[in-house]
Amino acid sequence: MKTYKRAHDFKALELKLNVDSRSPHTIYFTEHSVREHTSDRPSGKTLFIVNIPPYVDEQGLKNAFRGAGYVKSVQFCLKPAATEPMKRSFIQEIDSPAFRVAYLVFNKVVEVDKALKLTELLPLNNDKHETKVGLKKWIEDYNGSVVQAKTLKDNIETYMKQHDAEVKQKEKKEKQLEEEDEEGWVTVTRRGKVENFARTDKVSNRIMGKEQKALKEKLQLKNFYTFQIRESKMKHIVALRQKFEEDKKKIAQIKQSRRFKPF
Amino acid sequence: MVKRDIKTSISEDEVDNGLVNENGKRPNDAKNKEGKKRLKTKSLYRQPTVNELNRLQETENLFNSNLFRLQVEEILAEVKVKEKTEKKFNQWFTEFKTYLLTIPEDKNEYDLSEQTLPKKLKVKLPITNSLNKTKCVFKFHKFHDVNIVGSYALECSINSKLRIDLQIVTPADTYTKNDSINYRYHKKRAAYLAVISSHLMKTDLVEDLHYSWTNGNKTTPVLDLEPSGKLKNYFSIRLNLVCDQETFKLHRFSPLRNNLREAWLFSIENVESTEVGPPTPYYNSVVLNDLIALANQELLKEFLLKSENLKQAIILLKIWLRQRNLKVSGFVISLIVLYYVKTKRINNIMSSYQIVRNVWIALSKCYKWEKKGISLNKTDDSNIQEFHNHFPVVFLDCTGQHNLCWEMCIGTYDALRRESALAVEMLDNGKINSFIPLFMTPVKVFTQFDHVYRGLPRLLHSSTFALSFWGDKSELRRFQDGSITETVVWKGETLAERRTVTKQIIDYLMNLKFGHSGKWPGDIEAFRCLKAAFNLQIAERLNQQYSLPTQPYKTHIDVLKNGLTFRLKIAHPKELTLLRREIENGVVKYKESEESVRLQCDTILMPRLRGALHGLQTKYPAYGPTVCLLKRWLSSHLLSPPHFPQSVAELLAAAVFVHPAPSHPPALPSIGLVRVLNLLAHTDWNKEIIFLDFNEDMSREEITKLEQKFNSGDIPSPCLRIVTAYDDAMPSVWSMDAPSLQVLARVQTLARSALNYIEEGLLRDFKENVLGLFVPSLSGYDVVIHLQPSLVPYVGERVDKVPELRRLPERPAEDVIPVVEFHPILKYLEELRAAYSEFALFFHDFYGGEVIAVLWKPDFNELRDFQLLNANALKPITVEEEIKYKVNTEAIVEDFRVIGQGLVKEITVNT
Repeated sequence: MKTYKRAHDFKALELKLNVDSRSPHTIYFTEHSVREHTSDRPSGKTLFIVNIPPYVDEQGLKNAFRGAGYVKSVQFCLKPAATEPMKRSFIQEIDSPAFRVAYLVFNKVVEVDKALKLTELLPLNNDKHETKVGLKKWIEDYNGSVVQAKTLKDNIETYMKQHDAEVKQKEKKEKQLEEEDEEGWVTVTRRGKVENFARTDKVSNRIMGKEQKALKEKLQLKNFYTFQIRESKMKHIVALRQKFEEDKKKIAQIKQSRRFKPF
Repeated sequence: MVKRDIKTSISEDEVDNGLVNENGKRPNDAKNKEGKKRLKTKSLYRQPTVNELNRLQETENLFNSNLFRLQVEEILAEVKVKEKTEKKFNQWFTEFKTYLLTIPEDKNEYDLSEQTLPKKLKVKLPITNSLNKTKCVFKFHKFHDVNIVGSYALECSINSKLRIDLQIVTPADTYTKNDSINYRYHKKRAAYLAVISSHLMKTDLVEDLHYSWTNGNKTTPVLDLEPSGKLKNYFSIRLNLVCDQETFKLHRFSPLRNNLREAWLFSIENVESTEVGPPTPYYNSVVLNDLIALANQELLKEFLLKSENLKQAIILLKIWLRQRNLKVSGFVISLIVLYYVKTKRINNIMSSYQIVRNVWIALSKCYKWEKKGISLNKTDDSNIQEFHNHFPVVFLDCTGQHNLCWEMCIGTYDALRRESALAVEMLDNGKINSFIPLFMTPVKVFTQFDHVYRGLPRLLHSSTFALSFWGDKSELRRFQDGSITETVVWKGETLAERRTVTKQIIDYLMNLKFGHSGKWPGDIEAFRCLKAAFNLQIAERLNQQYSLPTQPYKTHIDVLKNGLTFRLKIAHPKELTLLRREIENGVVKYKESEESVRLQCDTILMPRLRGALHGLQTKYPAYGPTVCLLKRWLSSHLLSPPHFPQSVAELLAAAVFVHPAPSHPPALPSIGLVRVLNLLAHTDWNKEIIFLDFNEDMSREEITKLEQKFNSGDIPSPCLRIVTAYDDAMPSVWSMDAPSLQVLARVQTLARSALNYIEEGLLRDFKENVLGLFVPSLSGYDVVIHLQPSLVPYVGERVDKVPELRRLPERPAEDVIPVVEFHPILKYLEELRAAYSEFALFFHDFYGGEVIAVLWKPDFNELRDFQLLNANALKPITVEEEIKYKVNTEAIVEDFRVIGQGLVKEITVNT
């Protein structure tokens, strides 16, 4: 198998699904090096891979790099990025398949070096592991989506408990803020003793807009002075003119497309 | 106001005068003037001139709208005969006339039952052989003039396929008083025309000379000719023969009279020839047509020539008739207009719009010409009843002796009235630009009518009364309203049943009374969690109280009842608010996101739209099936959603019912489909916006405003714009994401070829079966993925399957909810689109399609740079000893196989 190198040191190797796969994708990898390494992507031990085909799973990728050593962890990302703290969400969406990048963490630094010297990757599938794809995967997904009422209930309860705890904590924090600090300052929060309205742009718009409008309408006398009558007449003419101009534009458009040839 | 205006204009002057141009010189006077002028005409607040005021006011009073007026002006300018053409014609005509008048006298007499005349002239006589038994002797008498008549002479001709009518008056000496009977007149007329044509054969002025028969009337030929050279691109000529009114006594041709003697007709020799047969009104009319021509032409000239507005109205009416292919000649329509002028319904002071409108109103409403005809001859209409006994439609000419509508059958007359009524309706509909459907859109038989019957005329021809008096008069079409239809009732039983079941379910739910909780959490995830808790509760109660099998999910509940599974979802407006919420600088702001728009569509907009469409369906029973056909048609061409969304298809189908102009709303689904295809194919989607206003909720101003917003780019504008009154803040929300420009272009091409196919099939090849419309072409796709047929859902709905009425099983499932919504192909497509949409488009027929067609994106094969963020599916290749990158086609195709394992049968790659 041929290997290719690029200026910025990406190594290219073909990644096969099975031993007999004929047209595999080429993945590109290099040592992960950024200014600030995080603990989950330790410096020297992490391999950064791009162009991971959509169906590849963790175990498959571990299998592929088995020749270099034991892979401790695999992180898939849609694009190269720092790890984000997992947002707790009630409904976990199943990731739709896509080309991704991966961060492969080895146990030892040597293993990364070894990986970079590989001339060939092992297939994703072996006797112990088969990548889940196609009909089998869909059937499994479907079956997995049907949950026992009991499980769902537990799920809900755990989540709500956690949520309530969080809310409580937040409230406590806000209450603390309400109290006078050393210099005598009080932070106004939603839950304060002082009655206040929601700070939304909608509310503020409404207050400002309505008042002004009402005021205007109240003060206006319509068609009372001669100049007003004149003005309203002029307005009428202007409206007609505007309409006329617009219609002319429309005609120009129609003229362009149909050229007014009826037949 | 006035004061202020003066002030501003003064200040403008000052600015103008103080202007110094680049060279440090004051701009010259001419320029200055121009500048001032421009400023003045540009300003909307300038003082109106008298002319302008008049025009603006006129438009308000005399025309439907500005737009209508401008369009009328444009179309009139378009169809007006160009000065150049007139000049060319005049030149040609002078020469032509001079030449024609040099026709030699011929003292000889010819027996027309022999071939002496044709042999001498070296032209055939334009008369059928069946008239051989008519014996008469013909002598050519020279005519004295050639006149321009018809619409060209009246200055109301249409400059499209412009044909100028010329007319020669045959001298009265040509005929004897007994020539009125047994086609002698016709034979002599034919001979006379032959002499002229023989003479015309010898000139260079004329090219392509041939006989022609107006309206298939085989006894009164005319001469059609084209001027030689390039002139024929401008006009053609029809030369007609008429005769002096004095030639025969008019009353000899009253509808009571017989002019075809039985002895002659049945070739009975030596029978008493005094025997007079039954009346021959049609024969009489043919002769009368020539006799009265001059008198009526004079009348038209007198009334029309100086009446600009009347002429314009006639042109408009003629365009309208031609678009509808109604067999009403320009001569007749002009005389109808004249009649209304005489009866003071219209006059030349009216605008052309008002005239046309009044004519339509008159035509549609008032007069029943089939029972009580009208007459241009006021003094004498005593004999009108005689005409009614013999003609379906009666409109007597100025002599009172001839029925101008003698050729009109009741079908055409009905069509005329029907179309007039429709026209008035269109004019009164402020929502549409009625001008386009009235004058610019050809109305085709197969889009206009629900049924097209054929074969009638052939039967008539075989009758023993052999001579073709009738020509092709008998109408090919019959209109029938929706009372008798061929609609297949699709799954009627089950549908009805389904509806009642839904109601029951909803009743159950209402009984649960879980009420409206004010204390929904303010966090979207917690909110969803609470919804799941509700799901759990509802499922439990439904199960306990009604013993229904239920399955709760986080997002929905499945309920089994009577063998059908129902999916329930909780919708609450708070969810939408939470999705839109965003906190910026401590102020809560609300912004639309992809998710919030989707939720809004599903829970708020869709129910409203459903309601409106349901209303449409109850009003027009053909609507629903039309939508079905349209979706099937789109899907069969592999454009299932998401390429062409269902709701867009539903709205488009609704458009042909809400805006049926220029026809009635279709009563048959098949016609509904044809109309939608027509709409798709012939709309300039770039410019046009469809407004669907089901309940008169949108004002004209709103519509104009929206149009402006779309065109100015103030609001996002999809390529297919279809707006309903229920779109809230997102006009044309349903077509916002799809169809794409490419898909729309493809649909338009497909629709055009489908229409051609239908037109050819129905009207030319007389095929009833147009199922071929639904057969897609798989050529042109790059990759075709064949699927395991046994795994394809909805196989029973394939177009090539005979439709079956699916019955519910005798004993529906009762205990366990079966597998529902498990659609491997949709799953597969979902994954393909998620992973490979940057490289390819995937097409599939939802209704049992066994293939997925793949189209690579245009830049698919280009060489690319390797970039960290853009390395997907790239493989290195060596180009001129340099490493370049390219999309790995083979690997992607193999991926198709991998992720479709178990479902994919075979993949073919077209190279």
